[in-house]
Amino acid sequence: MGLFITGILSLDCNLLNVRLRRVTWQNLRLLRRMNNSFPIECLQESKAFELPQEILSHSQPLKRNIKEAFYKMSRQAFHIFTQDTFKPTWEETHLSQVQVGLDHQLREAPLSAGEETLRSSSPPAGNLELRRYFNRIDRFLKDKKRSPCAWEIVRMEIRRCFYFFQKLTALLRRR
Amino acid sequence: MVQSVKRKQGWHLLQCLGKVFSWRASLSWVLEGLGGEANLKPENVEIHIIDDNFFLKWNSSSESVRNVTFSADYQILGTDNWKKLPGCQNTTSTNCNFSSVELKNVFEKIELRIRAEEGNNTSIWYEVEPFVPFLEAQIGPPDVHLEAEDKAIILSISPPGTEDSIMWATDRLNFRYSVVIWKNSSSLEERTETVFPEDKIYKLSPEITYCLKVKAELPLQSRVGYYSPVYCINTTERHNVPSPENIQINADNQVFVLKWDYPYENTTFRAQWLRAFFKKIPGKHSGKWKQILNCENVTTTRCVFPRNAFPSGIYYVRVQASNGNGTSFWSEEKKFYIEMKTVIFPPVISLKSITDDSLHVSVGASEESENTSVNQLYPLIYEVIFWENTSNAERKVLEKRTEFTFLDLKPLTVYCVKARALIENDRRNKSSSFSDTVCEKTKPGDTSKTWLKAGICTALFSIPVVIYVVRLFLRCVNYVFFPSSKPPSSVDEYFSDQPLKNLLLSTSEEQTERCFIIENASIITEIEETNEIDEVHKKYNSQTSQDSGNYSNEDENSGSKISEEFLQQDSV
Repeated sequence: MGLFITGILSLDCNLLNVRLRRVTWQNLRLLRRMNNSFPIECLQESKAFELPQEILSHSQPLKRNIKEAFYKMSRQAFHIFTQDTFKPTWEETHLSQVQVGLDHQLREAPLSAGEETLRSSSPPAGNLELRRYFNRIDRFLKDKKRSPCAWEIVRMEIRRCFYFFQKLTALLRRR
Repeated sequence: MVQSVKRKQGWHLLQCLGKVFSWRASLSWVLEGLGGEANLKPENVEIHIIDDNFFLKWNSSSESVRNVTFSADYQILGTDNWKKLPGCQNTTSTNCNFSSVELKNVFEKIELRIRAEEGNNTSIWYEVEPFVPFLEAQIGPPDVHLEAEDKAIILSISPPGTEDSIMWATDRLNFRYSVVIWKNSSSLEERTETVFPEDKIYKLSPEITYCLKVKAELPLQSRVGYYSPVYCINTTERHNVPSPENIQINADNQVFVLKWDYPYENTTFRAQWLRAFFKKIPGKHSGKWKQILNCENVTTTRCVFPRNAFPSGIYYVRVQASNGNGTSFWSEEKKFYIEMKTVIFPPVISLKSITDDSLHVSVGASEESENTSVNQLYPLIYEVIFWENTSNAERKVLEKRTEFTFLDLKPLTVYCVKARALIENDRRNKSSSFSDTVCEKTKPGDTSKTWLKAGICTALFSIPVVIYVVRLFLRCVNYVFFPSSKPPSSVDEYFSDQPLKNLLLSTSEEQTERCFIIENASIITEIEETNEIDEVHKKYNSQTSQDSGNYSNEDENSGSKISEEFLQQDSV
């Protein structure tokens, strides 16, 4: 009688590996906790940044595009929260926790995407879309002279961005 | 007359046409750039973008310099709104700088057109292929600031472009910098290093002039920039207080131990730490280095600090020495990966036999590892080694779950399991040591099952037999203890005085009394009234009769049967 072991796990890297997912959820929580509630007076300044959902529409290799996009998105989020000209109304500890968390996410993301694939790809059209999106956020901050309201809106937007990616990858994982 | 007029008209017409054609021919000739009288068209128009500087270059198709000016327009692709390109209006040279164009968005496709003008004549537009400025841009030289120590040079590199750069707004932190450094005396000994914006170049010699140049790269886009100009600087003379060397950090249970080498005694040291990602951010962050609390003013070459002072991440650590003669430069910065220093504890396994062909395995964390950050952030997977106790053939499995089952095993066999924990997808292949080996025997198999079934069947069949035997026994008992006959009431009275003596057992007066009295309620009341001796007994009996009426009645009945038989036997 042969031995049959159930549940042999292949170490294939999922779309976003477990660690990366966990870190991203943690960062979402940290971002939420930075401020108890969104200040109502900032609502009128809010702007539609139009997160490029066309990433979904790209065909094969979809998985690789998503991984690259996630890495680039993590990088941009990290840049936004580590700018020197930072004078938000958030607490120092919260901010530094977010920075550490985002750095962690950034370190995990290339491991998921595979550094070789990142380096060899020539920028596809989707890349520019993501850049334009973050450029809009960056210009918004500059135009509003980095006011506290502008930062709040940007924080909300980054949360939306992360959440979108997490849900997208969860959806693709189930396919 | 008419014919001549017609001929003349025709001739005029022909001449006219001829002139038109020749004019057009000469114009087209000119337009093809073969030289001529009319306006010149610009050709080989090229765009050069370096950081936020936009240049347009072209060739004029005429060799000689004439009074020709060029003007250019631009528009965003898709719109129909040509705007004048600033800096490129009516220029006589063959290049222009339109950096002052305020492009809102360098990621959009731009269209350019340029034409030549001379006097009132203008050439047709030469339209440049639409382009995305960001993709065309080249990386310019970074700005470098140097500071010298005795054996190191401190670099402060600013990213290409200004701080408000539109081109690199989204990439400022993505640049990687490559430094080429050599001794001024001999350019043969070159060294190339990749550095952070705030970094140091070590292993240099004191009092030597070093020259270096820096270029920036965007590796993910495979773009390389231009080198900065060459900067030269002299390293200082050897400092009288040397810096600590050979920094090492080791993990030891709940603490980290920081050690370094130092040649002299009577020195105090202090150690600082920095989160590694700050090095990626340009700009001075000397203020971001923080003191390690247990490593301030220590006089030994080691210090110990608790593990929980540093949640997971990557850090840099540096140490400085000071004595009576002064304070040293900072030591080389040592990179310190918390994850690499964490200890993964071996798991705890329990093995249970459920059926005859399977074993259930439960993997748990040991008590020590309950609260470590490793478990919380890094999901563990388990490498499980499984073998039959008697054989040596081992089976290795990687399991993510903590509860799983091995199937298709042999019954009544001993199997053994041991496991160790790994961090999932860990490039460093960090793992715990193996847990203790746990062995378990599988349950008995099919043959035993049939025995079991046989046993059950026999049990089932034997039940009626057993019941019969029990009934027989009970009849004996009842015959012994409880006679079946019911004597008449007068006999009751008689017998109540002289208790019936069984041959087998002498009953107490009490029991006999019980039989009689309970049988008839009216008798009870009568006897209660008349018999003093039996009062206690009656009371007792009446109480018992109330308590356990059913039992007594039944006994009475069976008892009466037995006594009947007895009496019959007696009579016989």
